[in-house]
Amino acid sequence: MKDVFYAGILLISLIVSVQSVWTLYMTLYAWDRPPAEGSAPDFFREPRLSFTALLPARHEEDVIRGTIARLARVNYPPDLVQVLVVCSADDQGTIAEAEAEIESLHRQGRENFELVVFSDGPVNKPHGLNAALARATNDVVVIFDAEDDMHPDIFDVVNTVMEEEQVKVVQAGVQLMNFESTWYSALNVLEYFFWFRSRMHYYARVGAIPLGGNTIFFDRALIARIGGWDETILTEDAEIGLRLSAEGERIRVVYDHRYVTKEEVPPTLKQFIKQRTRWNQGFIQCLHKGTWRKLKTAKQRRLAFMTLIFPQGQAVLGVYFAFSLFTMVDLKTPVLVAELSYIPVLIVLANFLTTAIGLYDFTRAHGLKATPSAVVGLAIAWFPYQLVLAYASLRAVRRQMGGRLDWEKTKHVGAHREHADGPLGLDEVSRNVA
Amino acid sequence: MSHSPGFTSLEPRGTARMTRRSTMDSARQWYYQRGKLGTFALAFAIVSGVVTHSYHLFDYPLYETDEGIYLERAWAIIREGRLSPQTYTYDHAPGGWLLIAAWVFLLPGHFEAFGNPVNSARVLMVILHAGSTFFLFEIARKFSRGGLLAPTIACFFFNFSWLAVYYQRMALLDNIMVFWVLLSIYLLLRENVRLFTGLWSGLVFGISVVTKENAIFFAPTVFYLLSRRTKNTGDSSREFTLFFWLFGAASPVLAYCLYATLNGELFPPAMSFSLKHTSISLLYEMWYQLHRNQATLFNRHSSTPFLYTAWLPKDPFLLAAGTVAMVICILAGWRQRKADPGLLVAGTLAFEIAFYLARGSVILDFYVIPLIPMYALCIALVADSAFKSLPERTSRVLAPAVCASVAAFLLLPPGGYLIKHGSTGQLQAADPYHVPQTFMQNAQISWIRQHVPSNARIISDDDIWVALHDVSPVYPYDESHWNAASDPQVRKIFGGGRWYDIDYIVLSNQMKSAMILNNTGNQEQWMLTALDYHSTEVWSITRGSVSLAIYKVNN
Repeated sequence: MKDVFYAGILLISLIVSVQSVWTLYMTLYAWDRPPAEGSAPDFFREPRLSFTALLPARHEEDVIRGTIARLARVNYPPDLVQVLVVCSADDQGTIAEAEAEIESLHRQGRENFELVVFSDGPVNKPHGLNAALARATNDVVVIFDAEDDMHPDIFDVVNTVMEEEQVKVVQAGVQLMNFESTWYSALNVLEYFFWFRSRMHYYARVGAIPLGGNTIFFDRALIARIGGWDETILTEDAEIGLRLSAEGERIRVVYDHRYVTKEEVPPTLKQFIKQRTRWNQGFIQCLHKGTWRKLKTAKQRRLAFMTLIFPQGQAVLGVYFAFSLFTMVDLKTPVLVAELSYIPVLIVLANFLTTAIGLYDFTRAHGLKATPSAVVGLAIAWFPYQLVLAYASLRAVRRQMGGRLDWEKTKHVGAHREHADGPLGLDEVSRNVA
Repeated sequence: MSHSPGFTSLEPRGTARMTRRSTMDSARQWYYQRGKLGTFALAFAIVSGVVTHSYHLFDYPLYETDEGIYLERAWAIIREGRLSPQTYTYDHAPGGWLLIAAWVFLLPGHFEAFGNPVNSARVLMVILHAGSTFFLFEIARKFSRGGLLAPTIACFFFNFSWLAVYYQRMALLDNIMVFWVLLSIYLLLRENVRLFTGLWSGLVFGISVVTKENAIFFAPTVFYLLSRRTKNTGDSSREFTLFFWLFGAASPVLAYCLYATLNGELFPPAMSFSLKHTSISLLYEMWYQLHRNQATLFNRHSSTPFLYTAWLPKDPFLLAAGTVAMVICILAGWRQRKADPGLLVAGTLAFEIAFYLARGSVILDFYVIPLIPMYALCIALVADSAFKSLPERTSRVLAPAVCASVAAFLLLPPGGYLIKHGSTGQLQAADPYHVPQTFMQNAQISWIRQHVPSNARIISDDDIWVALHDVSPVYPYDESHWNAASDPQVRKIFGGGRWYDIDYIVLSNQMKSAMILNNTGNQEQWMLTALDYHSTEVWSITRGSVSLAIYKVNN
């Protein structure tokens, strides 16, 4: 019986180790093999493609005007840009703010901004996107979130990439910025950093990519042909990415510090947990929907499966973490078993130190400053953060099993705009618009 | 931003793009195609290394005490699931004998696959030597910017020097460590040093440290080389690569520390580091080793004058030329380190291990092993630089002529790498390919099997320990004098250390001298008493300078 118990410990250690090494590999993929086509183009082509920017917003009174104003300032011919702000009819606060901003722009002769209000259900982002897609008229559809600080040159970047490389889908970088706002901010910021800076490139290379929720550009005809977004999935972005991958569509990832879309960390732990729960539940839904099974190669299916099952694995890991604390302190095992069961600890250490180096890279890239105390903060927050992630995973599993499929909204307050620099700063945008 | 027809220039270029270009530039600097001639030279180097090291391998040299020690520890891993059949005292990290155990475990017939158990491990040494030759060849080739002269010279010494062949045949931790160190350096010289290449190089280096701790002396240079290889790869890539090298290198060491911790043996009891009271703990052992002192290597009258008695007689040319080349490498390498760090790296690698040997701590004769490839590398690079400094036409004629002359000088008498004059002046093959020695030890084992009961309490040496414990009839009460002197658990077999509780004393070559040397605290006295006053020689053999004997104790 003891042997079976020890074998169980070793098996779990092995699984955790493999998972952790795989995660670490993807986290550092872009540094290990700088992707040949990873960065933004060095030269812009003459604007040719026209863009429709979809701006879904719900209860975003605090930030929607600034975002619309920012879209009005992009460095791209206005006649090639259509902006559709998407709201549900019950969200009068956001509608009022959006209308006010759009009217102001109309007075300046900017007729390319419209408000799309839908009154049917479900009230969620994919439904809003589908409603707006019907009104989109331009070549390329792009999604921005209500709190996004997109770069003024982002349309130039994507126009050049799509024209030169003849790709129909481009995922550009998204980056949380306010790494000092809360105890978990830095870790959340770095998750984004590694995800868009590195992991996305790995997914793109393999050809099984769960896309991000914004700054994603689609050929409008393509997105119409595949039927738009799945309104039953909480992570419609990941789902559509896998659907496109299954169709064999090449997806180009562009990550360049200069052109990332800037976002904010959820302002409270409760909001953070809700957001993470929604993502995890969305992945579970994607797993059950089975689009990943239609991917062409075993490697693609394996990658997609590993990615989608991760939230459930994380829930199990949360339970195992508590158990492992007990075993560290109280369980006597043969030395070899104990030695091998420490391997995951070593890999966790590597993951943490990678994050610490990433913090310096992130701040250096964005003109911010990381201090040793920030690294100490990372160390202190590391395990509580993992526990929060595990809790969110457990919560997602519970919600899915309980049939709760409603959209838990993440609140935005524009904290990232405190970090906006130079011509991207909110103050300057507001001043220009005013 | 305005748009003009065609392309428009942008603001400063992206970091990622710059990183990629720099990486490629850096890679180009280190990429040299081997070509057909290079492949032939490499194949010749490996084959010649395998031939010089495997021919007569099971006959020469004598099975060393230390070979026996690592064999018996590998035996303990396979047969008993522990790191040593006696009390493990952290005298060495276990990486080397773990590898030997894995190798022996895979062999059909395990320890007896090639006759005497030590032979199994010696075969592994030949395989590792082939690998080391490959790495040395490639390291020398890259340091000499793709030339074939330097790798050929380096591998010549590494494969043919009598000093090299003599020690590299033995199943010693140093040979395994050299393999890992060369592999670690080789990985750093690959065309592209990617982030995970740094990790593998570090991991391999960490394994070298837990194989033989003195590998740590190479760490500054290996890290310097890594630092140079990543210099143009961009800030974050460099940081990650350096970090992962360190992490990889630390991992095996941490695993070793964890082993000690799990056994409650990381710290000595009561945190006492007093050198007067030995205790079993990893940190105490490190402390103890740091405080061990011995007469300097250069003192002819010290207890261990290996430089004069063991090394110079075997290959004075390699030692003298290597020392000079090392100094040249360091001096010239320092001046040109920015353009080409190869000479400096080779020179400091040699210096680090030379310093380790010369610093005056306890050394054994085979500790010279890591010096051999580094000296060979220095000689090769200095020769290559010298020829390159000549006009090309001169060099094209002179280089082969000089190299062939030196090789002939070394291979034939008076160099004696392959052929030497015998005692009566006749030409004969050099000792490694000619002199049979281990048959005496096998005869000693045979005599024991035929004449000594298996329950006899035997004091012997480690070289025959596995043979007497792994093949029926086994001799469970056979222990080496080293362990009987130092391990209380072992001493219990002999009544806690009473001469009349010994039945037989099996003397290996020079064993009595070693017992006397090791008797500073009288720990060997009870065995010496049995040997000198209460025993009768029942078997002996002498060939040249080698004498073995068996004594029956009259108890």
